Amino acid sequence: MPCDARLILGVGLVFAQPLKPDSDRPLQISIGSIPFSLFIPEELLLQQALKRYREFTAALGPGLPIVLRPKEQDEREPTAFSYDLDDASVILRRSGAEFRGVRHEYALDSLLRILLTMMLLPRRGFLLHAATIVRNGRAYVFAGRSGAGKSTVASLSPEGSVLTDEISLLRFTDGCWQAHGTPFWGEFRAAGRNDRFPLAGIYSLVQAPEDRVEAISKKEILRALLPCVLFFTSDKDANEALLQTLVGLIGQVPCQRLHFRRGTEFWKEVAP
Amino acid sequence: MIESPARNPSLAWREVDGEIVIISPEDSQVHELNETASLIWKYADGIRSCDEIAAELAAEFDVALEAARADAAELIEALEEKRLLLVAAPVAG
Repeated sequence: MPCDARLILGVGLVFAQPLKPDSDRPLQISIGSIPFSLFIPEELLLQQALKRYREFTAALGPGLPIVLRPKEQDEREPTAFSYDLDDASVILRRSGAEFRGVRHEYALDSLLRILLTMMLLPRRGFLLHAATIVRNGRAYVFAGRSGAGKSTVASLSPEGSVLTDEISLLRFTDGCWQAHGTPFWGEFRAAGRNDRFPLAGIYSLVQAPEDRVEAISKKEILRALLPCVLFFTSDKDANEALLQTLVGLIGQVPCQRLHFRRGTEFWKEVAP
Repeated sequence: MIESPARNPSLAWREVDGEIVIISPEDSQVHELNETASLIWKYADGIRSCDEIAAELAAEFDVALEAARADAAELIEALEEKRLLLVAAPVAG
C-alpha cells in the first residue's frame, strides 16, 4: 500500500514530498488496477491532486496519459469518446486522454470518474453509486441513489471497514468479482483505500420500518442497479457491454434487496 | 400493422432469465419485456411476418393460432409505439 509520506511520480521513480511532475514526469495513479499518468501543469491543482489521490499513487509503469489543457484547443485526432461537464470536458483518444478547462480539484475528480467508466467497460468493470463495507475479508456492496442510506450504512459500520461510502468500483479480476477502493468519497471525505476484496453480495437499499433481506429476481436487481451505475455514453456498443457486464455480475454474485431501518441491526440480516 | 417487424437496431438488449431487458442509449430508458413480448422480440428479425411470429407463439404457448394472432398483433403494435420495433413497409405485389 502507498503511504502518505512518499508519493510516486514519473515512471517507476519514487521521490519524497514535495515534488512536482513536469511534462516528462507525470503523477502516476492507479484506480481499480488501471494505471493513469496525470500531466498537471498548474501547481495548485497538482498539489491538490497529490493530496486527493495520495492513497492511489502507484509505480505500475506508464498508464493512460491524461493531459490537462486549457479549454480551447484545436481538434487534430478523432475522438473515441468525449463528454462535457459544465465548463470542463474529457476527451478520450487512442493516444490518451485530455481534460480541458479543469479549474479545480472537484472538476478533475469528476472527469476522472467519467473517464474511468469508459476504461472499465472493456475490462468487465463499472462504477456504482454504492457504499462498500469489508467484513471478514469480503466486500458487501450497498447500492442506492442519493438518500438511500449509503452513508448511513457506512457510518454504522466498524471503523476501518468502509472501503468507500459513495462510489464503488466493481470489476471482474483474477477470476472473480471484486470491489476496489476508490478515491471518490461522499460524506466521509476520506482519502480512500487502494485495496480490493472479493464480493460477498450486493444489496439494493430500501428504507423500511424493519431490517430484512429479500430475494429478488435477476430482472429486478438489474432494474435496481441500472440507475445506480455511473455511465456517460449513448453509444450502443457501450450500452451492450454494460448490460453484458451487469448480467454477468448478477449471475455470479448474490444480489438482494435490503429493507433497512437505518440501525446497526441490518448486519444480522446481511451477515448473521 | 407491421408486415415484418424488426428490432430497432439502435437499442442495446440482453436476455435475463428468459426475458428481454432493453436499454435505449439515446435517453437511457430501460424497457423490460414479459415472456410473450420477449419471444416476439426474438423472432422480430425483419424477415418473419406477423403471421409467422404468431405461429411461433401458438406453438410455444400451446394456444390456438387465432388467439396467438390477436396477442401478437397487440404486442407488436405496443412495441412499435415505443419504437422498440420498427415499421417495415409491406412488400407490394
